[in-house]
Amino acid sequence: MKVDYKFQKLEPAKNFKAINKAEMYVPGHRTCAGCGPALNYRLVAKAAGPDTIFIGPTGCMYVANASYLCTPYAVSLIHAQITNGGAVASGIEAAFKVLAQKGKYTGVFPNIIVMAGDGGTVDIGLQAMSAMLYRNHKVLFICYDNESYANTGIQVSPTSPYGANTTFTPPGKEIPEANVLFPKYVPELVIGGHPALKYVATTTIAHPLDLTNKVRKALSFEGPTFLHMLAPCPKGWKFDEKLSREMAKLAVETGMWSLFEWENGVYKYTNVPKTYKPISEYMKNQGRFSHLKAEHIAKMQAFVDERIAKVKANIAIPIATPR
Amino acid sequence: MAKQKLPEFSTFNIPKDREVPFGAITPAPVNTQDLFITSNWRVVRPVIDQEKCTRCLTCYMACPDACWGYNEKADKLEWIAGFCKGCQICIHDCPVQCISAEPELNYPDGVVRLEKPF
Amino acid sequence: MAQEKMLTGCSAAATGAKLAEVEVICSYPIRPYTAIMMELAKMVANGELKAEFVHGEGEHAQVSIVLGASAAGARAYTGSSGVGVTYAMEVYSPMSGGRYPVQMAIADRALDPPGDFGSEHTDAMSTRGQGWLLGWARTPQEVLDNTLIGYRIGEDQKVMLPQMTCQDGYFLSHIADKVNVPELAQAREFLPPFKSPHPLSVACPVSHSPQIRPDQGAPMDAQRAAVYTDVPKIIEKATAEYNKIMGRNYDPFLEKYKMDDAEIAFFIQGAHANTCMKEIDKMRKQGVKVGMIRPRWIIPWPTQYLAEACAGLKALGVIETSTCYGGSMRGGNLAPEVRASLYDLDDRPVVTSFMGGLGGETIWPEEFHSMAKVLTQAAKDKRASQYTYWVGFEGK
Repeated sequence: MKVDYKFQKLEPAKNFKAINKAEMYVPGHRTCAGCGPALNYRLVAKAAGPDTIFIGPTGCMYVANASYLCTPYAVSLIHAQITNGGAVASGIEAAFKVLAQKGKYTGVFPNIIVMAGDGGTVDIGLQAMSAMLYRNHKVLFICYDNESYANTGIQVSPTSPYGANTTFTPPGKEIPEANVLFPKYVPELVIGGHPALKYVATTTIAHPLDLTNKVRKALSFEGPTFLHMLAPCPKGWKFDEKLSREMAKLAVETGMWSLFEWENGVYKYTNVPKTYKPISEYMKNQGRFSHLKAEHIAKMQAFVDERIAKVKANIAIPIATPR
Repeated sequence: MAKQKLPEFSTFNIPKDREVPFGAITPAPVNTQDLFITSNWRVVRPVIDQEKCTRCLTCYMACPDACWGYNEKADKLEWIAGFCKGCQICIHDCPVQCISAEPELNYPDGVVRLEKPF
Repeated sequence: MAQEKMLTGCSAAATGAKLAEVEVICSYPIRPYTAIMMELAKMVANGELKAEFVHGEGEHAQVSIVLGASAAGARAYTGSSGVGVTYAMEVYSPMSGGRYPVQMAIADRALDPPGDFGSEHTDAMSTRGQGWLLGWARTPQEVLDNTLIGYRIGEDQKVMLPQMTCQDGYFLSHIADKVNVPELAQAREFLPPFKSPHPLSVACPVSHSPQIRPDQGAPMDAQRAAVYTDVPKIIEKATAEYNKIMGRNYDPFLEKYKMDDAEIAFFIQGAHANTCMKEIDKMRKQGVKVGMIRPRWIIPWPTQYLAEACAGLKALGVIETSTCYGGSMRGGNLAPEVRASLYDLDDRPVVTSFMGGLGGETIWPEEFHSMAKVLTQAAKDKRASQYTYWVGFEGK
């Protein structure tokens, strides 16, 4: 028997004026001044609208937001463990599905969105995230990536860049480059192995219209979707808090981050620089890289060049003309 | 055999000012979360030159604390004093540099002058 | 019409869940509880039960998934055994503190190391104190009944707590016995639909579990403890109603067997109580004044009921079907609780304990006789010579 779940249809926005609606992530939260993830949350919540339920695994975007016994979410939120964002979201989705099937819930099907940090996505949260994508739940999993375990005081995570100074990877005589490991590549990790996954996209806080429309597009699919968002962290990356959006822009301009969508096996890139700025342009403004020597920066450039090569290879594949 | 008197389990009287809601479930805020005022964090405030402003809405989309509101009727960007942390992202990112950073102490309503903390 | 069927404990649990019309089921395979999920999967697949059957990626995920489902207002059901139960440990406190009344069916199993499929109560016992209601059944009938009773108590607006309904792995989970299966109408008469007080919704947005300060932590703990003030009365009421509607005869807290004139008694939970009762009958024929007390709930611990039941008893032998290494009695988990319950009696029995039914072993009938001999001697001596007897492994 076909059930009308009353899934929402969110229209893409043409400009900022079109999304000048009430805030769903309101002023009054304990995030740092200039917090990238906070801006990220605000833009996501705005894009998703009032019929939304957020799942907040432990991390800055739970702890700093939800202090103390008060939160800035004008929509429903549930705290999840850092381990189980994908799982709690799956349970909520299953509940709404069965309650609709039984006629016990007749309202609009809520947007169910996990807002997990990088650790809660690809480290301790990896299992739950992957299983949720596998099980074809209608949930949007968003990774706000500040490239560390920030809430606990900046420790290395699987998305921390090579050479990043964190409190678990401090530079020293024995380990001059601080972090010796290269990060997991999050979009490919999810794209690679989940047949039910409908849509993956990357964005940053410096591209708010892009972010808004990718959120709305993701929410329009009747299955699992994944968004990877760069959210620079002034405390963790050690830059002046007014530069949060500029760091995101520089990430794109140097190839450290690329903006793309993946749907049905096809990659669509935007904001691809004609010439990429050298990675040193990005790193010189961030205190977490200030200990690096030329040889380390060269290693980083080589890593970024590989990423850029992959982008170019993906772009070179012609997009099939729809028949 | 007479039934013996055993100890009681504790009874609970949690003082009103220390109550935690059922299951730690709180209502969602509507427009602002007034239980967490952050205006006393800032040392500078953004001041906009409405003449230079092109209404591009970059500041509006750049504030993590939603402290710029776009008043559609008046076609003006309006600053929300109650929560601005003074991070200066809006000042830095304005494409026409029409927002400047002014020290809080210059203002009679500057929050740092308040006698009581929030 | 209520039907009589031959059901294993696992089938009884699945049947109970079906009668409870559970809405979100989360599975993950681990012996010996898996059969519960296999039966529920069939019921969902052929339309007998309208539920979302979610394949959890592990036991931690199972408990997390049903937490989300319950928070959204659905009646949720899951289960596990052995190390699966301990793997999910992180989520037990969030569940009970968040007041989500899910039910977890445990067919117990010894913990690793190494792999041991046999029954032992240590798995679920080691989670007590996390805030869940917890109790063991003695028969497949009781497994089915506890499923319904558990939801009724847990979902009471004054309670709102998750429940672990446990049964002995293999001895109960895989051996069939007669079960009177109620009609759906009877189940509905007993168990009203789940009404979550503040579900995650779009109409009435709420935040579940915001961060708190340490000074808010203590009142949170006190609030969680205070729930247990109301729980025993609600257990009594629910059990009485269940007995009435279904024609059962459960004591809400303690099953007492031949306790009226008993001088010595066994305190034992779960399926091994069946052997115990048979051997008590034999010993009675030999003139031994022996009885049995079997707890149906160990959280909430029936402190005062137990003290009342033991008044006048000379010696009580706690049969420990779980381990607590290095604990006060160097034995199991129940005896220290029993001693605490009896401490305030002016005239209290000698309490000692016996380790039995561990690792999947049965408790042999003759062992009850030798344990009774120990208790008889302890009653004579008016003291225990040992805290714990490791039956079958005693030194010298």
